[in-house]
Order: sequence, then C-alpha cells, then structure tokens
Amino acid sequence: MSEQLNPPTQIDLSASFAGLKLQTPLVLLSGCVGFGEEYTRVEGFSNADIGAVILKGTTLEPRMGNAPHRVYETPSGMLNAIGLQNPGARHVIEHILPHLPHHETQFWANANGSTLEEYAEVARLFDDSPVTAIEINISCPNVKAGGVHFGNNAEMAARVVAAMRPMTKKPLITKLSPNNADIAEIARCCIEAGSDGLSVINTLVGMAIDIESRRPVIGNISGGLSGPAIKPVALWKIHQTRAVAAKHDIPILGQGGICSAHDGIEFAIAGSDALGLGTGLFYDPLLPAKILGELRTYLGNHGLSSYRELVGTLEV
Amino acid sequence: MSLADNDFTPHRNTIFEEQAEVLARVEHPGDQYILRVKAAKTAQHAQPGQFVHIRVSEARPLRRPISIMLTNPEKGTVDLLFKAIGEGTRELSQRKQGDLLPMLGPIGRPFDLSDLNKRYVLIGGGVGIPPMIFAADHLAGKADVVVFAGSEVAFPFSLRPSQFLLPGIAGNTILAIASLESRGVASRLASNADMYGCYQGHVPNLAGEYLRALKESERARTVMLSCGPHPMLHAVARLSRETGVAAQLSLEEHMACGIGGCAGCVVKTKEAGGEYYRRVCVDGPVFPAEMLPEFA
Repeated sequence: MSEQLNPPTQIDLSASFAGLKLQTPLVLLSGCVGFGEEYTRVEGFSNADIGAVILKGTTLEPRMGNAPHRVYETPSGMLNAIGLQNPGARHVIEHILPHLPHHETQFWANANGSTLEEYAEVARLFDDSPVTAIEINISCPNVKAGGVHFGNNAEMAARVVAAMRPMTKKPLITKLSPNNADIAEIARCCIEAGSDGLSVINTLVGMAIDIESRRPVIGNISGGLSGPAIKPVALWKIHQTRAVAAKHDIPILGQGGICSAHDGIEFAIAGSDALGLGTGLFYDPLLPAKILGELRTYLGNHGLSSYRELVGTLEV
Repeated sequence: MSLADNDFTPHRNTIFEEQAEVLARVEHPGDQYILRVKAAKTAQHAQPGQFVHIRVSEARPLRRPISIMLTNPEKGTVDLLFKAIGEGTRELSQRKQGDLLPMLGPIGRPFDLSDLNKRYVLIGGGVGIPPMIFAADHLAGKADVVVFAGSEVAFPFSLRPSQFLLPGIAGNTILAIASLESRGVASRLASNADMYGCYQGHVPNLAGEYLRALKESERARTVMLSCGPHPMLHAVARLSRETGVAAQLSLEEHMACGIGGCAGCVVKTKEAGGEYYRRVCVDGPVFPAEMLPEFA
C-alpha cells in the first residue's frame, strides 16, 4: 500500500471550466437528470457534490419527444431515443429556473435547434437567465433535423457556434459527436467560431431488434448508445480533441460511461477538466459522493493536492 | 399545465437506496418468484402502487422496476412477486437468501385510496396482482374492497373457498386468496386455464359481472384499480366506460433511471393543455384511465 502523501481533507477538488469555478469536477449530464431537481429525491444525494447540472436539452418551442420505447438495455450500456422532450426555452426560463437551488450548485442550459436561427434565439433567451453556461447540442442523434446533422460537419458545427456567439456572454460549451471521422477538426472549427469549452463525447448511434416482431426495439428505430460500452471510444476521442483544445486553452468536459472513480481518473488523465456523469447515475444515483471520496484518496496517494493537477497528465 | 419535467412539489429525500438483504425466496410454477427482502426505509414509506428499482447484478447496466406486493413496516420487510421473463428478471430470480440487492424505493405516484367512503374494486392480472394485494391490505377494515385476480398459471398464493358472498358471481367461482380472506377482504380468481373454483375467462369479465350486479347507488361510489398486461388494461378501460366506474391504471414501460431524470419511460397523456408524454416512473405508474388516450 502506498504511503498517503496528502491527507484527503486538504485536497482541492474544485475544477476550472471556461472561466467558471466548479465546486467539484462532477457535472451531471443533459438528458439524464431532467430539469435539475430529480436526483434530490434520493436520500444521500447532494447538490454540494456536483460542480454543475446540465439541464435537459431545450428548444425554442415545446417538443413532445419520441414515441416509446425510448430506452433499452444493451451489453454494458443502453440505447436511448428521447427526442428532446422539453417545454420550450421560455417555459424553462420563466417556470423552472426560478425554482432551482442556484446556491447549491450551478445549472447550465443545453441548447438545441433545427435551424441556426433557433439555436441563436435559444442562446439569446438563456443569456438573460441564471444559468452560468450554455452547452450547444450539435450532436443529438435522435431528432430529424439539426442535432447530429450539424455536428458531423465541421463547417456546419462552426456556423452554429458562430450564430450563438453574439447572443450571449455566458460560456458556450459545444457537445461533440463521436459519429464522425475527425473530431479534432470539428473541435478546432468550433473553437475558432467562439466555443469556450467542449463536451466529449455524445452518444454513438446504434439500434436493437426485437426478434419476435422483427421490429426495432426503439420507437425512433435508432438510438444513442451510452454507458461503459462506449468508454474506450470516449477516452480516445478526448485524447484526440485534447491536442487541439490544449493549444487554445479550451477545457474539455469528458464523458462516456464513467461509472467509478477509476473511470473518472482515466478521463482526467486523458484531459478532462470536468467529468460528466450520465448513464452511471442510472446504476447508482449516489455515485457522485462515492467518486469524490475515492478521487480524494487517489490524489493523496499520488502526491497531488488538487484535481486540476491530474488533468491532462497522460504520458504517451 | 405543461410538459412533464416541471413538478416542483417537495420531493427531496423521498426515495431511499438500501442494500436489501434477501430473507426468503419462494419459487412458484410458471417462473413466478416471491422474494422477501429487508429494506427498512422502503417498508416504512411505501404506499400501494409504488415500486422498487433493483440492480439485479453488478454487470447489468439498468435496474429493474418491480412492484411492491406487501410491506411490514415493523419488521422492515418488503415482499416482491415477479415473473422471470427476460435476462434481468431471470438473474433476479436466482438471487439467494443472504444476497444483497441494491434497491431504490419506494418510487412513484401511488393509487389514490384517500376516500374511504368509496368501494374499491381491484383487478390484477399476472404480475399485476401484487399491487392489488398491497392496496387490499391497506384498505382492509377501512373501506369496502374486493379483489379480482387473473392468471394463466397457478396462483402463487394459498387459496381457499371464500366465506364472502359477492353479487353477480356464480357459486362455483368460489376460490379466494387466503391471506386476503384472513384480513376480511373478499376475492375471486379468473383463468382461461381449467382451474377448479375459478371463473373461466378473463378477469375483467369477472369484475364486470360483479359491477353490473351492484345497485346503481353502489356503482356510483365504486372505483376500479388495475394492473396487468395491456390487453387486460384495455378491457378494464372498456369496462370503466360501459359502467361509468372510474379506473386507476398502473402501467409499466422500459425504464432507465426510475427517478424522473431521463424521460425514458413515458406514456402519452391527454390533459387540459393537449397531449403530452409523462414519465411512468414518477408521474405514474398510476394514472386515471381517462387521462390515457391509448386506453380511450
């Protein structure tokens, strides 16, 4: 057993992200935690363990979302195709944000659209709201227009960022799709268009088939694959993106199957300034506190006094 | 009224994560299993219609929602009845006495049992029977309640001839669930399999014979609660329209988080503002039948 060099209590678990200070590096991912107050149902869950909560994907107008089934378990993961069910940006701002405990953690918006104009308008609306950052979802695989159709093309991705940039002073974080050939090039274009941070990665597109009915299990036919199954893909995409992002001093919110402190530490070493939790919360809604405890121990055992010192320390 | 995800009724600390120890496991014909687990907080707080969300094994990404059949708040135990249908429930069925199951509960909007002047007619089919047992236990001695249960495999309960007469029910439909009899609750069984003492046919038809035999004034104060396969719920919804007796239906759907986060487990609803998808886990699993276009 290695000697503990730093007592766990003195370890600084805060994170820096696009000019924001997060109380911990853990960020609850959009689409997994509703509009921010769902997980506090569970005794023992605390917003104090969370750096930021990213609210469910929001469009300008309300959307019903896709017909069920919307989720399905797959080996070491799951498929989902929710279809951006949301009550519209104005409703979120007027009727949901005022009720959120902004003193307990930060809340970020997740902006979506079918057109550049819609993305821009959603950014403008959220600019005048208590969210501290806006994540740009150009990688949702489960909608007919926009989403991943913007995110798989570097030029289109950059145009979305550029359309939103003049509408807000809040940090813009672009959520990148893994469903493309060159994530680093898309990252570079988004950064040059004004993105202050990157979320890496969104889900991989996949499907499942019911062999009795010979129909797709998911109502939307395809869905986004998440969970431990995609962890190696996520680490590789973060590694590729990091090379570009570090040059511009742009932070990465690493995500894709993190289910333990061990996973989170791998993502940190690969270059994740913050750690996104999504499907892992479905295994265990009390995962955040467990990860923080083990992360503290790991940092102490390795002579580090802060999370930030661990980020991007990969030796190749 | 707007989309589902904006309910700010105080709900903090209402769901508990417990390491539920398996105290007993009983296997019944037809891949039916009853597990008794120790989960003190869930036992303390659960209401009829609610469910638990169980991590059946380390390797399995998603939990499995299982409805609660009975609780013993004093002993801190929760009884679960389920069928091994897919891989997850198959694994759950193999858990042994002493195993620990990470379990979230109690979850969901329960049946509305608040009006004790009502007559409650409970209609359960297959693995939809357990919430009826819980509701009947809760209502026993407090309100008029009768249970109709349907199954195509042997009922996983002790049965005995009923001591209660029920209007509209033929004399040879006599078998009842013994534990309910002991609590003073009348019950009758239905099956398409040739089972002695049971009604030959679908359980909503059995319930229909009872409802139609009630006096008009009695029917007016009656409400149905139901849980079971979709064709059965459709029949209960039809019965509700025919008789004017309101029905509360408990639904199931593929579920991921089970606590309202992912909007994965939705059902279409029709409300004042239009049609919406609501979450089965926390907006349900119990919905008034008239709110569900699928059952209209």
